[in-house]
Amino acid sequence: MAEISFPLPDLGEGLIEATVLEWLVSPGEQVERNQPLVEVETTKSAVELPSPQAGKVVRIHGGPGDKINVGEPLIVFEVPDNTAGIVGTVPKEEAPKRRVRLSAVLDED
Amino acid sequence: MSGRHTGEQHSHTVEGTDPRLYVGVHDPADDAGLRPVLLLHGFSSSAKLNWEDTGWIMALTQAGRRVITVDLPGHGRSGSPEDRDSYSPSRIRADLLQIAFDAGARPLRDGDPASGLDVIGYSLGARLAWEFGATQHELVHRLVLGGPNVADPLADFDLVAAQRYLADGTPIADASTAGLLKMAQLLPSNNIFALLSLVEAIKDEPFDAAEAVPPMPMLLVAGEQDERAASMPELAKLGARAGSMVEQLILPGRNHTNAVTSRAFKQGAISFLAV
Repeated sequence: MAEISFPLPDLGEGLIEATVLEWLVSPGEQVERNQPLVEVETTKSAVELPSPQAGKVVRIHGGPGDKINVGEPLIVFEVPDNTAGIVGTVPKEEAPKRRVRLSAVLDED
Repeated sequence: MSGRHTGEQHSHTVEGTDPRLYVGVHDPADDAGLRPVLLLHGFSSSAKLNWEDTGWIMALTQAGRRVITVDLPGHGRSGSPEDRDSYSPSRIRADLLQIAFDAGARPLRDGDPASGLDVIGYSLGARLAWEFGATQHELVHRLVLGGPNVADPLADFDLVAAQRYLADGTPIADASTAGLLKMAQLLPSNNIFALLSLVEAIKDEPFDAAEAVPPMPMLLVAGEQDERAASMPELAKLGARAGSMVEQLILPGRNHTNAVTSRAFKQGAISFLAV
Protein backbone atom coordinates (compact mmCIF):
# COMPACT_ATOMS: atom_id res chain seq x y z
CA MET A 1 0.00 0.00 0.00
CA ALA A 2 1.06 3.58 -0.60
CA GLU A 3 0.02 6.88 0.90
CA ILE A 4 -0.99 9.90 -1.14
CA SER A 5 -1.24 13.32 0.45
CA PHE A 6 -3.50 16.00 -0.97
CA PRO A 7 -2.85 19.62 -0.03
CA LEU A 8 -5.48 22.34 0.22
CA PRO A 9 -5.91 23.33 -3.45
CA ASP A 10 -5.70 26.84 -4.85
CA LEU A 11 -9.23 28.15 -4.32
CA GLY A 12 -8.80 30.96 -6.84
CA GLU A 13 -9.35 34.71 -6.49
CA GLY A 14 -5.93 35.08 -4.81
CA LEU A 15 -7.03 33.26 -1.65
CA ILE A 16 -4.17 31.89 0.43
CA GLU A 17 -5.99 30.07 3.23
CA ALA A 18 -9.29 28.52 4.25
CA THR A 19 -10.96 27.60 7.52
CA VAL A 20 -12.24 24.08 8.09
CA LEU A 21 -15.98 24.10 8.77
CA GLU A 22 -16.70 20.38 9.00
CA TRP A 23 -15.09 17.14 7.92
CA LEU A 24 -17.50 14.80 6.14
CA VAL A 25 -15.17 11.78 6.30
CA SER A 26 -13.01 10.33 9.06
CA PRO A 27 -9.80 8.26 9.24
CA GLY A 28 -10.34 4.61 8.38
CA GLU A 29 -13.26 5.40 6.09
CA GLN A 30 -13.30 4.15 2.50
CA VAL A 31 -14.37 6.98 0.18
CA GLU A 32 -15.41 7.10 -3.45
CA ARG A 33 -14.12 9.49 -6.05
CA ASN A 34 -16.17 12.75 -5.98
CA GLN A 35 -17.58 11.96 -2.54
CA PRO A 36 -17.71 15.19 -0.49
CA LEU A 37 -14.69 15.29 1.87
CA VAL A 38 -14.80 18.54 3.77
CA GLU A 39 -16.48 21.92 3.94
CA VAL A 40 -14.11 24.89 4.08
CA GLU A 41 -14.73 28.62 4.22
CA THR A 42 -12.66 31.40 2.70
CA THR A 43 -13.09 35.15 3.13
CA LYS A 44 -15.33 35.02 0.06
CA SER A 45 -17.46 31.92 0.28
CA ALA A 46 -17.95 28.43 1.66
CA VAL A 47 -17.15 25.44 -0.55
CA GLU A 48 -17.38 21.68 -0.37
CA LEU A 49 -14.33 19.80 -1.65
CA PRO A 50 -15.03 16.50 -3.44
CA SER A 51 -12.61 13.60 -3.23
CA PRO A 52 -10.19 13.53 -6.17
CA GLN A 53 -10.02 9.74 -5.94
CA ALA A 54 -11.20 6.58 -4.24
CA GLY A 55 -9.26 5.23 -1.29
CA LYS A 56 -9.08 4.76 2.44
CA VAL A 57 -8.64 7.90 4.54
CA VAL A 58 -5.48 7.66 6.66
CA ARG A 59 -5.27 11.16 8.12
CA ILE A 60 -7.14 14.44 8.02
CA HIS A 61 -5.57 17.77 8.90
CA GLY A 62 -7.31 20.51 10.85
CA GLY A 63 -10.50 20.47 12.88
CA PRO A 64 -13.48 22.84 12.69
CA GLY A 65 -12.26 26.43 13.01
CA ASP A 66 -8.66 25.64 12.06
CA LYS A 67 -7.02 27.60 9.25
CA ILE A 68 -5.11 25.76 6.55
CA ASN A 69 -2.86 27.47 4.03
CA VAL A 70 -3.11 26.66 0.34
CA GLY A 71 -0.53 23.96 -0.36
CA GLU A 72 -0.51 22.58 3.19
CA PRO A 73 -1.61 18.95 3.76
CA LEU A 74 -5.36 18.47 3.98
CA ILE A 75 -5.93 14.73 3.70
CA VAL A 76 -3.91 11.54 3.24
CA PHE A 77 -5.24 8.43 1.48
CA GLU A 78 -4.03 4.87 1.41
CA VAL A 79 -4.22 3.31 -2.04
CA PRO A 80 -2.95 0.06 -3.61
CA ASP A 81 0.65 0.42 -4.78
CA ASN A 82 -0.13 0.01 -8.45
CA THR A 83 -2.53 2.99 -8.52
CA ALA A 84 -0.46 5.53 -6.61
CA GLY A 85 1.58 6.64 -9.57
CA ILE A 86 -1.26 7.40 -11.95
CA VAL A 87 -3.47 9.46 -9.68
CA GLY A 88 -2.30 12.71 -11.18
CA THR A 89 -3.25 11.64 -14.68
CA VAL A 90 -6.81 10.36 -14.26
CA PRO A 91 -8.59 11.15 -17.54
CA LYS A 92 -10.76 14.26 -17.56
CA GLU A 93 -14.52 13.86 -17.34
CA GLU A 94 -16.58 15.04 -20.26
CA ALA A 95 -18.02 18.12 -18.57
CA PRO A 96 -15.75 21.12 -18.04
CA LYS A 97 -14.46 21.00 -14.46
CA ARG A 98 -15.24 24.24 -12.77
CA ARG A 99 -15.19 22.91 -9.22
CA VAL A 100 -12.04 23.31 -7.25
CA ARG A 101 -10.25 19.99 -7.20
CA LEU A 102 -7.52 18.55 -5.06
CA SER A 103 -4.41 17.24 -6.73
CA ALA A 104 -1.86 14.88 -5.33
CA VAL A 105 1.55 15.41 -3.84
CA LEU A 106 3.26 12.04 -3.91
CA ASP A 107 5.12 11.15 -0.72
CA GLU A 108 8.66 9.84 -0.89
CA ASP A 109 7.72 6.68 1.03
CA MET B 1 -22.27 10.59 -10.57
CA SER B 2 -23.62 14.04 -11.15
CA GLY B 3 -25.13 12.95 -14.46
CA ARG B 4 -25.61 14.91 -17.64
CA HIS B 5 -25.27 18.65 -17.52
CA THR B 6 -26.39 21.22 -20.00
CA GLY B 7 -26.10 24.97 -19.79
CA GLU B 8 -27.45 27.63 -22.03
CA GLN B 9 -28.31 31.25 -22.28
CA HIS B 10 -32.06 31.44 -21.81
CA SER B 11 -33.59 33.30 -24.73
CA HIS B 12 -37.34 32.91 -24.39
CA THR B 13 -38.25 36.53 -23.85
CA VAL B 14 -41.23 37.07 -21.60
CA GLU B 15 -41.64 40.78 -22.21
CA GLY B 16 -39.45 43.80 -22.85
CA THR B 17 -35.73 43.26 -23.38
CA ASP B 18 -34.05 39.87 -23.15
CA PRO B 19 -32.07 39.71 -19.87
CA ARG B 20 -30.04 36.77 -21.29
CA LEU B 21 -30.38 34.64 -18.16
CA TYR B 22 -27.98 31.71 -17.96
CA VAL B 23 -29.85 28.48 -17.24
CA GLY B 24 -28.35 25.11 -16.32
CA VAL B 25 -30.22 21.79 -16.31
CA HIS B 26 -28.57 18.96 -14.39
CA ASP B 27 -30.00 15.49 -14.93
CA PRO B 28 -29.46 12.72 -12.36
CA ALA B 29 -27.90 9.42 -13.39
CA ASP B 30 -30.74 7.60 -11.61
CA ASP B 31 -33.93 9.63 -11.82
CA ALA B 32 -36.11 9.31 -8.71
CA GLY B 33 -39.14 10.21 -10.82
CA LEU B 34 -39.82 13.35 -8.83
CA ARG B 35 -40.49 16.90 -10.06
CA PRO B 36 -37.52 19.14 -10.92
CA VAL B 37 -35.88 21.39 -8.31
CA LEU B 38 -35.27 25.04 -9.16
CA LEU B 39 -32.36 26.69 -7.29
CA LEU B 40 -32.33 30.46 -6.69
CA HIS B 41 -29.07 32.03 -5.48
CA GLY B 42 -28.53 35.07 -3.29
CA PHE B 43 -27.50 38.67 -3.95
CA SER B 44 -23.96 39.01 -5.30
CA SER B 45 -23.67 35.23 -5.68
CA SER B 46 -24.31 32.90 -8.63
CA ALA B 47 -25.53 29.38 -9.37
CA LYS B 48 -21.89 28.28 -9.33
CA LEU B 49 -20.97 29.87 -6.00
CA ASN B 50 -24.23 29.25 -4.18
CA TRP B 51 -25.11 25.78 -5.47
CA GLU B 52 -22.31 24.14 -7.44
CA ASP B 53 -19.14 24.83 -5.43
CA THR B 54 -21.06 24.15 -2.22
CA GLY B 55 -22.01 20.63 -3.32
CA TRP B 56 -25.75 21.17 -3.68
CA ILE B 57 -26.06 20.15 -7.32
CA MET B 58 -24.15 16.95 -6.68
CA ALA B 59 -26.18 16.15 -3.54
CA LEU B 60 -29.49 16.72 -5.31
CA THR B 61 -28.63 14.84 -8.49
CA GLN B 62 -27.29 11.94 -6.43
CA ALA B 63 -30.66 11.91 -4.66
CA GLY B 64 -32.18 11.41 -8.11
CA ARG B 65 -33.43 14.96 -8.57
CA ARG B 66 -33.36 16.92 -11.79
CA VAL B 67 -31.96 20.37 -11.03
CA ILE B 68 -32.57 23.69 -12.77
CA THR B 69 -30.18 26.53 -11.98
CA VAL B 70 -30.35 30.11 -13.15
CA ASP B 71 -28.07 33.09 -12.69
CA LEU B 72 -30.06 36.19 -11.72
CA PRO B 73 -29.68 39.23 -14.01
CA GLY B 74 -26.30 40.92 -13.51
CA HIS B 75 -24.95 37.79 -11.78
CA GLY B 76 -22.81 34.83 -12.85
CA ARG B 77 -23.00 34.12 -16.56
CA SER B 78 -26.25 36.00 -17.14
CA GLY B 79 -26.38 39.26 -19.02
CA SER B 80 -26.32 42.69 -17.42
CA PRO B 81 -29.08 44.59 -19.20
CA GLU B 82 -29.03 48.37 -19.16
CA ASP B 83 -32.72 48.87 -18.36
CA ARG B 84 -33.83 48.73 -14.77
CA ASP B 85 -37.05 46.82 -15.59
CA SER B 86 -34.99 43.69 -16.30
CA TYR B 87 -34.03 43.61 -12.63
CA SER B 88 -37.43 44.08 -11.03
CA PRO B 89 -38.45 41.14 -8.82
CA SER B 90 -41.79 40.77 -10.65
CA ARG B 91 -40.01 40.63 -14.02
CA ILE B 92 -37.51 38.11 -12.65
CA ARG B 93 -40.38 35.93 -11.37
CA ALA B 94 -42.00 36.00 -14.81
CA ASP B 95 -38.70 34.92 -16.37
CA LEU B 96 -38.33 32.15 -13.78
CA LEU B 97 -41.78 30.83 -14.63
CA GLN B 98 -40.89 30.68 -18.32
CA ILE B 99 -37.53 29.05 -17.53
CA ALA B 100 -39.21 26.39 -15.38
CA PHE B 101 -41.69 25.53 -18.14
CA ASP B 102 -38.99 25.53 -20.82
CA ALA B 103 -36.99 23.10 -18.63
CA GLY B 104 -39.94 20.74 -18.50
CA ALA B 105 -41.80 21.62 -15.28
CA ARG B 106 -45.55 21.05 -15.52
CA PRO B 107 -48.45 22.13 -13.26
CA LEU B 108 -49.15 19.95 -10.23
CA ARG B 109 -51.50 17.01 -10.81
CA ASP B 110 -52.88 14.86 -8.02
CA GLY B 111 -51.06 11.57 -7.73
CA ASP B 112 -48.28 12.52 -10.16
CA PRO B 113 -44.97 12.96 -8.25
CA ALA B 114 -43.23 14.16 -11.42
CA SER B 115 -45.61 17.10 -11.78
CA GLY B 116 -44.96 20.52 -10.31
CA LEU B 117 -41.74 22.14 -9.19
CA ASP B 118 -39.80 22.31 -5.94
CA VAL B 119 -37.89 25.52 -5.25
CA ILE B 120 -34.87 26.11 -3.02
CA GLY B 121 -33.83 29.72 -2.50
CA TYR B 122 -31.10 31.30 -0.43
CA SER B 123 -31.26 34.86 0.95
CA LEU B 124 -32.49 37.06 -1.93
CA GLY B 125 -33.30 33.76 -3.65
CA ALA B 126 -35.50 32.85 -0.65
CA ARG B 127 -37.39 36.11 -1.05
CA LEU B 128 -37.96 35.37 -4.74
CA ALA B 129 -38.98 31.79 -3.90
CA TRP B 130 -41.47 33.01 -1.27
CA GLU B 131 -43.12 35.30 -3.82
CA PHE B 132 -42.90 32.71 -6.60
CA GLY B 133 -44.62 30.13 -4.37
CA ALA B 134 -47.28 32.65 -3.34
CA THR B 135 -48.13 33.47 -6.96
CA GLN B 136 -47.56 30.04 -8.59
CA HIS B 137 -49.40 27.64 -6.30
CA GLU B 138 -50.56 25.53 -9.25
CA LEU B 139 -46.94 24.83 -10.08
CA VAL B 140 -44.92 24.94 -6.86
CA HIS B 141 -45.07 21.80 -4.73
CA ARG B 142 -42.76 22.66 -1.82
CA LEU B 143 -40.32 25.41 -0.84
CA VAL B 144 -37.01 25.38 1.01
CA LEU B 145 -36.01 28.88 2.11
CA GLY B 146 -32.46 29.36 3.38
CA GLY B 147 -31.32 32.49 5.24
CA PRO B 148 -34.81 34.00 4.82
CA ASN B 149 -35.74 37.43 6.06
CA VAL B 150 -38.94 39.33 6.83
CA ALA B 151 -37.10 42.60 6.46
CA ASP B 152 -35.49 43.66 3.18
CA PRO B 153 -31.91 44.89 3.63
CA LEU B 154 -31.61 45.55 -0.11
CA ALA B 155 -34.63 47.89 -0.04
CA ASP B 156 -32.92 49.88 2.73
CA PHE B 157 -29.62 50.03 0.81
CA ASP B 158 -28.25 53.59 0.59
CA LEU B 159 -27.71 53.89 -3.17
CA VAL B 160 -26.53 57.50 -3.07
CA ALA B 161 -23.87 56.68 -0.48
CA ALA B 162 -22.79 53.64 -2.52
CA GLN B 163 -22.47 55.67 -5.71
CA ARG B 164 -20.52 58.38 -3.89
CA TYR B 165 -18.20 55.74 -2.45
CA LEU B 166 -17.64 54.23 -5.90
CA ALA B 167 -16.99 57.67 -7.41
CA ASP B 168 -14.53 59.13 -4.90
CA GLY B 169 -14.20 56.80 -1.92
CA THR B 170 -16.44 58.77 0.48
CA PRO B 171 -17.02 56.37 3.40
CA ILE B 172 -20.50 54.84 3.72
CA ALA B 173 -22.18 55.63 7.03
CA ASP B 174 -24.80 52.84 6.96
CA ALA B 175 -23.20 49.56 8.08
CA SER B 176 -25.64 47.34 6.18
CA THR B 177 -25.03 49.26 2.94
CA ALA B 178 -21.27 49.16 3.43
CA GLY B 179 -21.39 45.41 4.13
CA LEU B 180 -23.52 44.60 1.08
CA LEU B 181 -21.31 46.70 -1.21
CA LYS B 182 -18.17 45.10 0.20
CA MET B 183 -19.68 41.67 -0.48
CA ALA B 184 -20.55 42.72 -4.03
CA GLN B 185 -17.02 43.98 -4.64
CA LEU B 186 -15.31 40.85 -3.29
CA LEU B 187 -15.87 39.01 -6.55
CA PRO B 188 -14.15 40.54 -9.55
CA SER B 189 -16.71 38.80 -11.78
CA ASN B 190 -19.54 40.88 -10.34
CA ASN B 191 -20.86 43.73 -12.42
CA ILE B 192 -21.28 46.35 -9.69
CA PHE B 193 -23.47 48.61 -11.78
CA ALA B 194 -25.80 45.75 -12.67
CA LEU B 195 -26.04 44.84 -8.99
CA LEU B 196 -26.89 48.46 -8.16
CA SER B 197 -29.60 48.34 -10.85
CA LEU B 198 -31.01 45.30 -9.07
CA VAL B 199 -30.96 47.20 -5.77
CA GLU B 200 -32.76 50.12 -7.43
CA ALA B 201 -35.40 47.79 -8.85
CA ILE B 202 -35.84 46.10 -5.46
CA LYS B 203 -36.40 49.51 -3.87
CA ASP B 204 -39.37 49.89 -6.24
CA GLU B 205 -40.69 46.48 -5.21
CA PRO B 206 -39.49 45.86 -1.63
CA PHE B 207 -40.19 42.50 -0.04
CA ASP B 208 -43.47 42.38 1.87
CA ALA B 209 -43.77 38.86 3.24
CA ALA B 210 -47.36 39.40 4.42
CA GLU B 211 -48.59 40.70 1.06
CA ALA B 212 -48.61 37.29 -0.62
CA VAL B 213 -47.89 34.14 1.37
CA PRO B 214 -47.06 30.73 -0.10
CA PRO B 215 -49.73 28.17 0.83
CA MET B 216 -47.58 25.08 0.10
CA PRO B 217 -45.39 23.30 2.69
CA MET B 218 -42.11 25.06 3.37
CA LEU B 219 -38.89 24.43 5.24
CA LEU B 220 -37.16 27.49 6.72
CA VAL B 221 -33.43 27.08 7.34
CA ALA B 222 -30.84 29.43 8.82
CA GLY B 223 -27.50 29.34 10.60
CA GLU B 224 -27.69 29.81 14.34
CA GLN B 225 -25.41 32.88 14.03
CA ASP B 226 -27.39 34.38 11.14
CA GLU B 227 -29.47 37.24 12.53
CA ARG B 228 -32.11 36.32 9.94
CA ALA B 229 -32.82 33.15 11.94
CA ALA B 230 -34.76 35.39 14.33
CA SER B 231 -37.26 36.20 11.59
CA MET B 232 -38.14 32.57 10.87
CA PRO B 233 -40.90 32.29 13.52
CA GLU B 234 -42.59 35.34 12.00
CA LEU B 235 -42.44 33.86 8.50
CA ALA B 236 -43.69 30.55 9.91
CA LYS B 237 -46.64 32.31 11.52
CA LEU B 238 -47.54 34.00 8.23
CA GLY B 239 -47.26 30.67 6.43
CA ALA B 240 -49.38 28.81 8.98
CA ARG B 241 -52.09 31.45 8.69
CA ALA B 242 -52.14 30.90 4.90
CA GLY B 243 -52.52 27.15 5.38
CA SER B 244 -48.90 26.20 4.82
CA MET B 245 -47.24 23.44 6.83
CA VAL B 246 -43.99 25.05 8.00
CA GLU B 247 -40.89 23.37 9.38
CA GLN B 248 -37.87 25.21 10.76
CA LEU B 249 -34.25 24.10 10.89
CA ILE B 250 -31.46 25.92 12.74
CA LEU B 251 -27.87 25.00 11.81
CA PRO B 252 -25.67 25.11 14.92
CA GLY B 253 -22.58 27.31 14.70
CA ARG B 254 -23.31 28.52 11.17
CA ASN B 255 -23.72 32.08 9.88
CA HIS B 256 -25.29 33.55 6.73
CA THR B 257 -22.20 32.83 4.62
CA ASN B 258 -21.22 29.35 5.73
CA ALA B 259 -24.67 27.84 6.30
CA VAL B 260 -24.82 27.15 2.56
CA THR B 261 -22.45 24.18 2.53
CA SER B 262 -23.96 22.55 5.64
CA ARG B 263 -24.69 18.86 5.19
CA ALA B 264 -27.59 19.13 7.67
CA PHE B 265 -29.08 21.82 5.40
CA LYS B 266 -28.74 19.64 2.29
CA GLN B 267 -30.06 16.51 3.97
CA GLY B 268 -32.92 18.45 5.53
CA ALA B 269 -33.88 19.91 2.15
CA ILE B 270 -33.55 16.63 0.27
CA SER B 271 -35.75 14.71 2.69
CA PHE B 272 -38.28 17.56 2.94
CA LEU B 273 -38.62 17.55 -0.85
CA ALA B 274 -38.61 13.74 -1.28
CA VAL B 275 -42.39 13.37 -1.08
